[in-house]
Amino acid sequence: MSFLIRARKKFSRFLRFFLKKNRSRIGIYGPPNAGKTTLANRIVRDWTGDAVGPVSEIPHETRRARRKENITITGTNGGSIVIDIVDTPGVTTKIDYHEFLEYGLDKEEAIVRAREATEGVAEAMHWLREDIDGVIYVLDSSLDPFLQVNIMMVGIIESRKLPVIIVANKIDLPDAAPARIKSAFPQHPVVSISGLEGRNVENLYEQMTEFFG
Amino acid sequence: MPHKCVKCGREFEDGSTEILKGCPSCAGKKFLYVREEERHADVLEEKPIESLAAEKRESLLEIKPQRGQRPEFYDRIESIRILGPGRYELNIEKLARSDDMVLGLGKEGQYAVDISSMGRPSGKPARPSRKKKKK
Repeated sequence: MSFLIRARKKFSRFLRFFLKKNRSRIGIYGPPNAGKTTLANRIVRDWTGDAVGPVSEIPHETRRARRKENITITGTNGGSIVIDIVDTPGVTTKIDYHEFLEYGLDKEEAIVRAREATEGVAEAMHWLREDIDGVIYVLDSSLDPFLQVNIMMVGIIESRKLPVIIVANKIDLPDAAPARIKSAFPQHPVVSISGLEGRNVENLYEQMTEFFG
Repeated sequence: MPHKCVKCGREFEDGSTEILKGCPSCAGKKFLYVREEERHADVLEEKPIESLAAEKRESLLEIKPQRGQRPEFYDRIESIRILGPGRYELNIEKLARSDDMVLGLGKEGQYAVDISSMGRPSGKPARPSRKKKKK
């Protein structure tokens, strides 16, 4: 029996080796409420007509990583890639249920949300280590990008030698300052977009075909 | 406004102690002294700060990396500290390194070691187990 299990494992590793070559798994990472799921929905809807998951103004709406496979993206330059999109829970260093009470959740709901969000961060970090070939790091351009968690996450992604595109999201907001994000991460390509309105996403698709191809 | 980071161009106030730890934006270790009247020279002349430094022949201030400057928080042994119901602190550097779960309980000194997470083969998600062994 164990021989069969071993043979199956070897075979799936063999298959994965070949499949990985043509299909990259791209993780959408970033702090909570940066618009990761909105962007994932935008990408998936633009290229397959489907959606990834629900969005909300309450932080940590996504508490489990969600994956959409086999998405073909074509840039305006004609380049094309096939990817799997992994929408991940927001990564943060502190989770306190009090934060959710302000959004009208009752105490018990908020405590459960905090617990699930914590598990979600652990899961997001697990996938980053095990199963991701490239990263789209999403930031809210109306907020300060110089947060310890952002600097650390980009550092971790760099140390794993993963290609990364930084997305300065929410440029539809009046106080958006994408230039601040560009100056914070001069070593990486930064694309300013509005995931909600779809503004400038074609530029992101072009960068994706270039960097993740 | 005497210093600018050579790598990303971030400005630092006179006497800023921030740069002693390296640039907080890009972790750059080299800084150029800029006079008030030349403060925007890099932007106006569209030149990288390095070439301005070479033109002015001014030496760059280089910060030597020192050990033990990392915040205490990230040197902790636990991946997640549970401060109370619904209140957590996450050590994302540790979470990025392995699935081994050491949980901190309360303020300090108490830990829960999730032994099952340490024997888990790679490829399975890092969900903290509900069965925890207290040390």
